[in-house]
Amino acid sequence: MSVSLGPLIRKALMVDLLKGLKVTFTYQHPKEIVTEQYPLQRPVISERYRGLHRLNVNPETGETLCIACDLCAQACPEKLISLTSERNPVTKRKELRSYTLDISRCMFCGLCEDACPSDCLEMSQDYEIATYSREGFIFDRQRLEAGPQPTVYKR
Amino acid sequence: MLQSFTSYLNQPVTPGEAGNYIWATIYILVVVAGVSLAVMIMNWGERKALAHMQIRLGPMRVGPHGLLQPVADAVKLLIKEDIMPAEADKVVFWLAPVATVITAWTVFLVVPFGRTHAVTDMNIGILFMLGVSSLGVLGIVLAGWASNSHYPLMGALRSSAQMVSYEIAMGLAVVCAVLMTSLSGTGTLSMIGIVEAQRDQGLWFIFKFFPLGFIAFMVFAVAMIAETNRAPFDLPEAESELVAGFHTEYSGFRWSLFFLAEYSAMVAVSSIAVTLWLGGWLRPFAGFHGPHITIPYYWEGGAVDFAFSLLPALCFFLLAFFCLIGVVRMPKIPQLKIQTIGLAGLGLLLGFVGLVLLIPAVRDRVQDIFWFAAKVALFMYLYIWYRGTFPRYRFDQLMKVGWKVLLPLALGVLILTAVVGVLQ
Repeated sequence: MSVSLGPLIRKALMVDLLKGLKVTFTYQHPKEIVTEQYPLQRPVISERYRGLHRLNVNPETGETLCIACDLCAQACPEKLISLTSERNPVTKRKELRSYTLDISRCMFCGLCEDACPSDCLEMSQDYEIATYSREGFIFDRQRLEAGPQPTVYKR
Repeated sequence: MLQSFTSYLNQPVTPGEAGNYIWATIYILVVVAGVSLAVMIMNWGERKALAHMQIRLGPMRVGPHGLLQPVADAVKLLIKEDIMPAEADKVVFWLAPVATVITAWTVFLVVPFGRTHAVTDMNIGILFMLGVSSLGVLGIVLAGWASNSHYPLMGALRSSAQMVSYEIAMGLAVVCAVLMTSLSGTGTLSMIGIVEAQRDQGLWFIFKFFPLGFIAFMVFAVAMIAETNRAPFDLPEAESELVAGFHTEYSGFRWSLFFLAEYSAMVAVSSIAVTLWLGGWLRPFAGFHGPHITIPYYWEGGAVDFAFSLLPALCFFLLAFFCLIGVVRMPKIPQLKIQTIGLAGLGLLLGFVGLVLLIPAVRDRVQDIFWFAAKVALFMYLYIWYRGTFPRYRFDQLMKVGWKVLLPLALGVLILTAVVGVLQ
């Protein structure tokens, strides 16, 4: 009879089961835990992440960087951006009057950001854009310039 | 009046043996409350330990480290809508959870938490426990049948097949332990008698005739997991196959009764294992007393006995210490004020219990309860540990393990135990 004794003894002494038990036991150490306590701890978001749009302002003067060229509105495949402008009679430049962005149908493709010649329109790392109404998805110039306003929780 | 009430405390017998109905009622209430509390702690402990094994955190939000999670769950279950399927058999559907809970709680009548800490001592104690706890399968079959739905029926079928096949191996393993009691005079089926036999022989039955006692214990340990439908033998309620098995159609309070019954049954079979093989309420090295020491008004006897008698209090002090560390480490912000106060209160309560346990009269009475509870807690942890480790058996594998491995093993151990016992 050629029954190999090795595996049989392993089975009888439950070697494999004990190995498994050892693995689960060692993983109980608190340093192994990977769970993130979400509102308290937030993940680090990559620079490339395409989150909610933001209209950048000049950090020194507080003036918008937008030159009202309308390129973003034309780049948008879903036609979600509309802006109005008027010409300043003194400087003879176009100035932005209003800017609305409806993100309810936005697919965050980033074409508007690529089209912007003055680095004004930028996609931020804000991902908390849930809202209670459809109207909440329509962002005006003021909200876009303010940027993300996440609720801050403290432990 | 008060005299007759307190005079029982000086008698070294259980209230059932003394025929004291008042104290028997008190004991029953305490045991039911204790088991319910154990189920709540087990609920929290299982979720926490299982989460840590899976490198998660587990409940963290309800109370500090989720301590109030079982309370929140209980409240949620009680206020949930009570759904009864239209096609269900109404009477049997109502009866099933009740039957399960009653059988799960009745077995605690004979569980000896100490020499005097059992509701009663029956001369057929172990037989009574096995008999009543196997009635629990009736509740499961009733639930599966009355739901009038395919998943519960499948679960109930599996459950009955599994329980019937594992009960045999379990019974044979129990007979081994009962045989061992007969080595010190007359054999006994009484739960208290079995522990006393282990005390008289100076050896827990797990070490008796090594490895015979150990193999019998292992057979029982495997069979008891199958018997309580826990992982890796949780086929009756296999989540990934049968939704929830026999309690698929149950919700709210009725479901919580099944939950309570399952965990009470786990405590019950663990206490059988502890009683039969791990020396019940006896502490480790029970025969070793150490040199005689005297502390005025406090202790008179062996030094080792004294050291062991302080352990319950130390255990509570340790828990209190952990709570107070938690209080200190809690961030000082207004939102967490109530949690901090609650945790501090819990710590002080545990510390107070520890102090009470140092009073000589209390200390001498809770010794055995402490050791029994500690051993049962070990088994509860093992249940969680197995659940976190082993994948579920296939049904044919389950039957193979039951009939082709455990049953011959138990039979062989039984015969060998009898032979060795006679030769000795």
